[in-house]
Amino acid sequence: MTRSLLLGGAVSMAAFGVQAEEFKWASTTDPQTMDPHAVNSAPVLSFLNNVYEGLVRRGRDMAIEPSLATSWEPLDGENGWRFNLRQDVSFQDGAAFTAEDVLFSYERASNEAADVRSWFAPVSEVRVVDDFTIDFVTTAPNPLFPSSIANFMILDKDWAMSNDAALPARDAENFATINVNGTGPFVVASRDPGVKTVLAPHGGWWDDAEHNVTEATFTPIGNSATGLAALLSGEIDFIQPIPLQDVAQVESRDGFKVLEGEETRVIMFGFGHEHETLLYSTDVADANPFADPRVRLAAAHAIDLASIDRVLFRGKIEGASQLVPEGISGFSEANSNRPEYDPEKAKSLLAEAGYPEGFSFGLKCTNDRYINDEALCRAAASMFAAVGLNAELSTGPVRDYWPQLREDDFDMYLLGWSPGTFDMEHPIRFLLHSQDDEKKLGSWNFGNYSNARVDELLPLIQQEIDPAARQAMVDEVVAVTQEEVAYIPLYTQPLIWAAKDGVDLTQRADNFFMLRWVTVN
Amino acid sequence: MVYFIAKRLIQSVFVMLAVAFLAFSLFRFVGDPITQMTGVETSVEDQERLREELGLNDPFVMQFARFTGDMLKGDFGFSYRTRQPVAEMISKRIPATLELGIVALLISLFVGIPAGVYTALRPRGFATQAILMTTLIGVSIPTFVIGIMLIFIFGVQLGWLPTFGRGGTVHLGGWETSFLTADGWRALILPAVTLGVYQLTLTMRLVRAEMMEVMRSDYIRFATARGVPMSRLYFRHALANTMIPVITIIGLQFGGVIAFSIVTESVFQWPGMGLLFLESIRFVDIPVMGVYLVVIAFFFVLVNLIVDLLYVAIDPRLRIQDVS
Repeated sequence: MTRSLLLGGAVSMAAFGVQAEEFKWASTTDPQTMDPHAVNSAPVLSFLNNVYEGLVRRGRDMAIEPSLATSWEPLDGENGWRFNLRQDVSFQDGAAFTAEDVLFSYERASNEAADVRSWFAPVSEVRVVDDFTIDFVTTAPNPLFPSSIANFMILDKDWAMSNDAALPARDAENFATINVNGTGPFVVASRDPGVKTVLAPHGGWWDDAEHNVTEATFTPIGNSATGLAALLSGEIDFIQPIPLQDVAQVESRDGFKVLEGEETRVIMFGFGHEHETLLYSTDVADANPFADPRVRLAAAHAIDLASIDRVLFRGKIEGASQLVPEGISGFSEANSNRPEYDPEKAKSLLAEAGYPEGFSFGLKCTNDRYINDEALCRAAASMFAAVGLNAELSTGPVRDYWPQLREDDFDMYLLGWSPGTFDMEHPIRFLLHSQDDEKKLGSWNFGNYSNARVDELLPLIQQEIDPAARQAMVDEVVAVTQEEVAYIPLYTQPLIWAAKDGVDLTQRADNFFMLRWVTVN
Repeated sequence: MVYFIAKRLIQSVFVMLAVAFLAFSLFRFVGDPITQMTGVETSVEDQERLREELGLNDPFVMQFARFTGDMLKGDFGFSYRTRQPVAEMISKRIPATLELGIVALLISLFVGIPAGVYTALRPRGFATQAILMTTLIGVSIPTFVIGIMLIFIFGVQLGWLPTFGRGGTVHLGGWETSFLTADGWRALILPAVTLGVYQLTLTMRLVRAEMMEVMRSDYIRFATARGVPMSRLYFRHALANTMIPVITIIGLQFGGVIAFSIVTESVFQWPGMGLLFLESIRFVDIPVMGVYLVVIAFFFVLVNLIVDLLYVAIDPRLRIQDVS
């Protein structure tokens, strides 16, 4: 069976006149599981996108394109979408793909045991119309729905049922944790968690293969110096990501190249808007100066982004004006200016707000989450100090950072946000809407920034079908939150990969790595 | 003898319980497992439910009791990160660490003992001074720096040896070994040298000090006077008496090599228990961390027991003491 699949793959590649190659790559984190619904994390989804497929997928430029669905249109007379499915698609074990598999995968992924169930919060019902047509009914108009499920991967119902993998495993292992059966371009030939995973082309894949890989081996390498050595010694062909300080070393060697891009992640500072007093101040005991927008604006004007870019990022960052970078849908062109570096203005704003001498406060940062996060915070703290904002910096690993923020243990904090849906609605929902546990809104709005107009606009933005009207509302939200300095967006995090010269691959802005675009020369 | 072993085994159980307790009480400061297990879009409500399901809201004592109880029943639980059985994850990683440790230890013995003997017998020779200087440098440089240096010299610049991983391995029953392939041996050299360097220095200096001590003792002088051949004198009379403290230290070192191979494993992406432990800390994978520490404690206990038994075998006087 496997042999005939592989043979099929080889034949189809020969037909394209491309030479077949082995390919080895490394990344810092091993996917925790092979179950596409168990963990909503980038290493898992990125890896499994090579094996499983969804109704839609993202192209090289992140645009949504047909995958297992050939087309989709809004439902007639009710809210939701109809997906027309691709025919003659088969799973890697040979079973045929039908609408039943989509329904089953929906039920599995929206179950309590699944970590991806938030994608289906707007869905009220899913109906199989016929073998190749399926309807997703939503509680309200939902123009974003097709693009929000680009990582919703389809499993074969019979395979999952007969292997006791009807639900994702929450605190135990099941068959789907280490075994796969998708419709995607690659099959997992062997898996040794944390050590290596070998992929082979799926000979019966419905789409035309653009790659020339005959066998791909993935190794997680946690230590970045080891990863770089493995690349430079020729043992691997490609690594993602590499640290900024290693770029020069790779570029200086013959036969290697660095791929640079912009991730969709915006790095920003947040405030404890709702706090009555500062927690870490030595001189302000009875007030929270950050409750005053003038103080927040002063902090924004105090930051010299050009110096940060030059010194810490070797000129590789792009300033951010809002919570999403340019190019993401919903980006507000009308509000694309960020507060310029102006320490005098910062001082006068502080004086105006009643703190001519400034004040001290606590700044919390991670030291292992974002590129140069600790160094960034040190630089920012000294820039703040120059205008009288004396930051007491404390840094720590991300594994106990979120709990501290959830317990309101901060005055100001560092946060990076990448919109999972690649739309401005995502950060509005998670970072700008007031905290609302019941509606699951504002769950990452640690400082509880709250603005009635923003709260009012979010559901309207979610439901608006007309792009111009929708953008007008998004523009309004961005304008309001810039006016009030809800956050200080700093820059878009760079994305730095390294590879051998002979390897052609595509760097997508979500940091996902797609084997189907790899050619080895 | 049986009484001796039984006594040591009972002591061991208490040692392991104490380690488990200490480890478990530290885990509460490692971070929140839930935020590491779920994605950013997981609602606070779902996180709370998961926390409840995993028993993380229970009082510390109850969590510890459950952990210990399950361990005693032979149930090592499931990893929070990979959802695989912890026993399986650890037992799959044990061969890699043990083989690395054994080779590192052998390097330290086969180089360290002769070097120790040589430097003891020729204390003022030029080669002795050179050896002592070199090993002093070797022991002062942190392990990870040595590892990275070796990688860059022999992996990147010269391209002789692989820089990461175990290379080719062969399954022998439940044991995955690097010893049976050339590729596996090649991959083993650099990490084993890195891990062995510190041990080598210790072994050499210890053998040297003991040997010099013994060489000054009366019975050696008398033997010399009687005209016992030098080679027999050194290796039969002197070295045998040197070996008792050396065996103790080697035994303890082996425990140390296994436990502290973490750094070497991380530098060489060596898929052993140390690397697994590091990953587990990163993801706050409490079940794996707990079992790892208990397994390491078990190794120490076992090694100490073997050392004690070797004493008895080497030194007849101890056998008499044991009876009393």
